Amino acid sequence: MEQAYGILLTGTVIVLGLLVIVSIVRSVLGPTIADRIIAVNMTGTLIISIIAVLSVFLDENYLVDVCLIYAMISFLGVVVLCKVYTGVYLQRKQMRADLRAVEDNLSRQGVTETEEDPGRKDISEEENDGSLMSEEGEK
Amino acid sequence: MILSWVRFAAAAGFLLLGLLVMIAAAFGVNRFRRALNRMHAAALGDTLGILFVLAGLMVIRGFSMDTLKLFLVIAFFWVASPVSGHMISRLEAMTDEDLGELTVIQKETGRIGPGMGPEREGPGAEKAKALVSERKGGTENESI
Repeated sequence: MEQAYGILLTGTVIVLGLLVIVSIVRSVLGPTIADRIIAVNMTGTLIISIIAVLSVFLDENYLVDVCLIYAMISFLGVVVLCKVYTGVYLQRKQMRADLRAVEDNLSRQGVTETEEDPGRKDISEEENDGSLMSEEGEK
Repeated sequence: MILSWVRFAAAAGFLLLGLLVMIAAAFGVNRFRRALNRMHAAALGDTLGILFVLAGLMVIRGFSMDTLKLFLVIAFFWVASPVSGHMISRLEAMTDEDLGELTVIQKETGRIGPGMGPEREGPGAEKAKALVSERKGGTENESI
């Protein structure tokens, strides 16, 4: 009977570990930032179930407390990440809207642009593919 | 004697169901193409997967303090996971530049409709047109 439980729980841990690898691969591949946050959240959930299974397998009952604390911290981490990236996106959008407003005003008044220093890259001319989150996504 | 076998069978059933749900969730996250669809698949593992795996562990442990703590983990997850899922979806809806692109495939004629570039014929267009000519019916839109 003990062997049966051992095989069952070991098999569960092995399968969940493979799913963790799959989630980590998705967190590296995912094109947008939301894909990566979803994959990290899912990795946390799988890790929590692995810790719970190990607490029964090793017969150590303090690992369930570790589960609970890890669940809270991963939830907090996801909330903070979402807030930060939403703020980054909105700030960048605001900055570009300001620049476009200034350029629009200048073009209405017919002001010719002065020669800039050719070595300095202007923020309004930087190359982008239209996505405000792509620079974050490449980091 | 028989009770221990029943307990083992129940725990094995719960754990295998939980593993199936988790495998379905991880598979779904990798197969979908858009982040909002992936959110659906990930929430599957967050709620049902955790429930079945931890319920199997609770059956193994019996009535003890560990069972109560595992139940507390389930309760916290069921409260916190929808909140985090909502925030991720809001982030995605705010930052996605081409959010409104939908694919509408007309079931009868096999033409792929507006929202995804110029209208073109889908892969099953000839078969669909043959079916349409056989029976007279209006076109039916089926959105994906």
